[in-house]
Amino acid sequence: MSDQRGLSVHALEVTFGRNHLLRGIDLDVARGETLVLFGPSGVGKTVLLRAVAGLEPAARGQIIIDGRDVTTRGPDARGLGMAFQNFALYPHMSARDNIASPLVARGVAREERERRVGAVADLLRIAHVLGHAPRELSNGQKQRTALARALIGAPGVLLLDDPLRNVDAKLRYEMRLELPRLLRNAGAATLYVTQDYREAMALGDRVAILLDGTIAQLAAPEDIYDRPASRAVARLFGDPPINLLACRPTDGAGGVQVTAAGLRRVLTADRGAIGRECLLGLRPDAIDVHAQPRPGAAPAELVATTPLHERLVVLLRSAGGEEVVASVLGAVPAPGSQVWFSAETAHAALFDAASGARIAAAAPIMEAA
Amino acid sequence: MAHTDAHSSRLGRLLRGIALTAVVVFFLFPIVWIVMMSFQTNEQILRIPPRLVFEPTLINYKALISGKLVTAAGSLDLPFMRNLGNSVLLSAVSVLVSLVLGVPAAYAFARFRFRLGENIAFTLLSFRFAPPLLVLLPLSLYFQDLGLANTYTGLIWVYQLICLPLILWIVRGYFEDASPDVEHAYRVDGHSWWRAFTRIAIPLAGPGIAAAGLLAFIFAWNNFVFALILASADKQPVTVGALAFVTASGIQYGQIAAAIVLSILPTLALALYAQRWLVEGLSLGAVKG
Amino acid sequence: MSDIAHPVAAVRVHATGPRSARLLPYVLSLPALLVCIGILVPFGTAAWYSLQRYNLAMPFTRGFIGLDTYLDFLSDPDFWNTVQVSAIYTAATVILELLLGLGIALLLRQSTRLNNAISVALLMPLMTAPAIAALMWKLMTNPGFGVLSWLVARGLGVSDFKWASDPRTSMLTVVLVDIWVYTPFMMILLLAGLRSLPTQPFEAARLDGVPGRFVFFRITLPMLMPYIVTATLFRLLDSIQQFDIVYAMTQGGPGDSLMVFQVRAYLEFFQYTNVGRSAALMMILWAITYALSNVFVKQWLKLRERAHGAH
Repeated sequence: MSDQRGLSVHALEVTFGRNHLLRGIDLDVARGETLVLFGPSGVGKTVLLRAVAGLEPAARGQIIIDGRDVTTRGPDARGLGMAFQNFALYPHMSARDNIASPLVARGVAREERERRVGAVADLLRIAHVLGHAPRELSNGQKQRTALARALIGAPGVLLLDDPLRNVDAKLRYEMRLELPRLLRNAGAATLYVTQDYREAMALGDRVAILLDGTIAQLAAPEDIYDRPASRAVARLFGDPPINLLACRPTDGAGGVQVTAAGLRRVLTADRGAIGRECLLGLRPDAIDVHAQPRPGAAPAELVATTPLHERLVVLLRSAGGEEVVASVLGAVPAPGSQVWFSAETAHAALFDAASGARIAAAAPIMEAA
Repeated sequence: MAHTDAHSSRLGRLLRGIALTAVVVFFLFPIVWIVMMSFQTNEQILRIPPRLVFEPTLINYKALISGKLVTAAGSLDLPFMRNLGNSVLLSAVSVLVSLVLGVPAAYAFARFRFRLGENIAFTLLSFRFAPPLLVLLPLSLYFQDLGLANTYTGLIWVYQLICLPLILWIVRGYFEDASPDVEHAYRVDGHSWWRAFTRIAIPLAGPGIAAAGLLAFIFAWNNFVFALILASADKQPVTVGALAFVTASGIQYGQIAAAIVLSILPTLALALYAQRWLVEGLSLGAVKG
Repeated sequence: MSDIAHPVAAVRVHATGPRSARLLPYVLSLPALLVCIGILVPFGTAAWYSLQRYNLAMPFTRGFIGLDTYLDFLSDPDFWNTVQVSAIYTAATVILELLLGLGIALLLRQSTRLNNAISVALLMPLMTAPAIAALMWKLMTNPGFGVLSWLVARGLGVSDFKWASDPRTSMLTVVLVDIWVYTPFMMILLLAGLRSLPTQPFEAARLDGVPGRFVFFRITLPMLMPYIVTATLFRLLDSIQQFDIVYAMTQGGPGDSLMVFQVRAYLEFFQYTNVGRSAALMMILWAITYALSNVFVKQWLKLRERAHGAH
């Protein structure tokens, strides 16, 4: 795939002393595509970005940009644009000179520089602060200046290291809407680091989940949400996190029968799961809460509720004492009430309790009970 | 200590005032007295008891600057201006050389983890604490052989023992305090390593480099033993020159005082200017003021 | 000298990019090192000289004699005099400067405009070259017109107080000059330390009505200890190597009353041309400072990390 335009990373390994920070990383990002690197902090997302940028040496593997092997090239010879999490603006230069820096490096003539800085500043709506020093800019303006600097050279590869981390909630919301358009226009192969799964869902054409220095799953965001490769991925990706209910599947007609937290379901799953300790993964938004008993619903006590965005997060305690989190639209009974909950198991997942691996794609064939 | 009641009482404040006055008098009076002396004729100086009020004269400074003291007994050569020039030359060039050598090294120690890096850095630091004569005495023999004895080059080389550790360790601290990401961003923009170093790293550490340079200048200026051993009269700085002057001119106390004033004036002025960084410089970067 | 090395616990950036970039840190730091290696060679020579009989005036007697020079020191009253004089000088200056410096720092602790002006003014002696400072005090203690001589004669009625010219008072005089020059060093470091202490413990103690003496000994002093230790070690290392003040004031006299290590070594070399003995004296002084500087560097690194944050 190395003749392809965009970014390819093959079997990349980054070490620090004897520790492996990254192992066996394989990625292909086409021009115009955004690949989100997602994972908890300290997992190597930034290291991967820095390795692609040439700021961290690769112990093994290859980094190929637009068909050119740049593994041993310095950061200045890779033709990248990069936005740092802490903005990394040059404090002794004006916003204009900050943004023009990649053009200066390429020896672009002054008039042409002025024109392109003006254009990108208009695009990011910072034209009115171009004369300011970084310390005179608001956080949002700093962030846009950093983005403008990354974009101005029309780079083939764009590296964005959690660019919305250090801006306030309102700005983050605006930028989440604005960035997809910007990135599409840029037409670069974009690597986007974030710890926020909503950002990953909103911006990523594909998402790579990084865990312990390797890619745990690489797929479209919906695929990861619906079919997480492991318990760890399932827990990471989603907010509130997925419910993991202990169960021991038994033989069911046409599948395996699972009983957890009072719910009983038959899932299509590898029959090897039968008799093993397992965890049933149910997304909170797949759980519905009812004030009255109904078929297939299990009884529970409603412990507490918290609003989260447009939904209501509800903490339930099943008859067996297990805690189940539901995320519902609309009103629910008051805390302390007896309620019933049901689960939509189209995307329920079954994980092996010992290894954490997903047992199989699970789709219900029929409801028992 | 404002947090104790005793000190905020009237008696406490009075005692504090007395103590502070005593401290200020003890530490400043010698300088005031020498300055006064430098504006007096020998007759005025020798008057007993000493007087605080006198008619100031510039005769001592005139004699020093013209390099000749004409008295009834004849004329006496005063080579002190040459010493002053030597001090300026030795200190300034030593600091410049130290900056050229020390700033890149400080950057290397701050930014890169490399084999022997810390060993080199601490070796340079250890120069600050080794007895100077240990090196100087054998060096005085070597310099004869190398033709470096009594040359500015030889002295400037040895002055690196004073300037380099200071510049290296202070500037290193400033480089460490600056985020490397800013330089990385500049590299990613497409600039070479050298441009990132000269356009980003050095300007951002600029105040620290300037402060380290000023401090190194002060310490080089104040050094005595290096030139005492390695230089003869025509290359000696003021510290050694003033001592020789006392021996040579015997009882020309007014000129001696004026020479002392001229010797300490530059460092006092620089120190006043660089006071914000003095603490850091004196502790080799370990304590910030 | 090269192995006072203590790795700094700091995460730093790797050299990146092509192989030439990996050499970069060496390229950057080697010029500084090379310049110093030329100065390091004499260090090795000094060690070698100290094992020889080597007198410049009698080159034909030169030869290897092992540790004889060192062994001779053991029964040499001149050597023991040097040890004693150096020890008294170092102990007196460091202890007095610490107490005075701490006292002045406490007086100036509050950051008012007056206090800051005073603390800057007090730096003037420290910025005066020690050799020049010795000359100033030499003038002030001049029996003919020295203001201090006059004060002692008139104020205290002591007529034959001869300051540095009398072996009974020469030590007192040079210690006084050292105190004048270096107390501000202690003061400024301890003041910086005092002002960097967190304020909460002191506010809490005041609210609880804890007596001042208790606050000083149980809160201020322990919290200030890293600064005190660093400043004291700094001064210890300098004071034990004192040369400028003593040489400019009396050249080690009168008699042998001020023969500190470096002055003795200087005179052995230039007056008695005894290179071997001079080198051996310096090796002994070096051994002492080396041991001290090891302790010092540990302390200094701790403070340095505090000043520059954890990297």
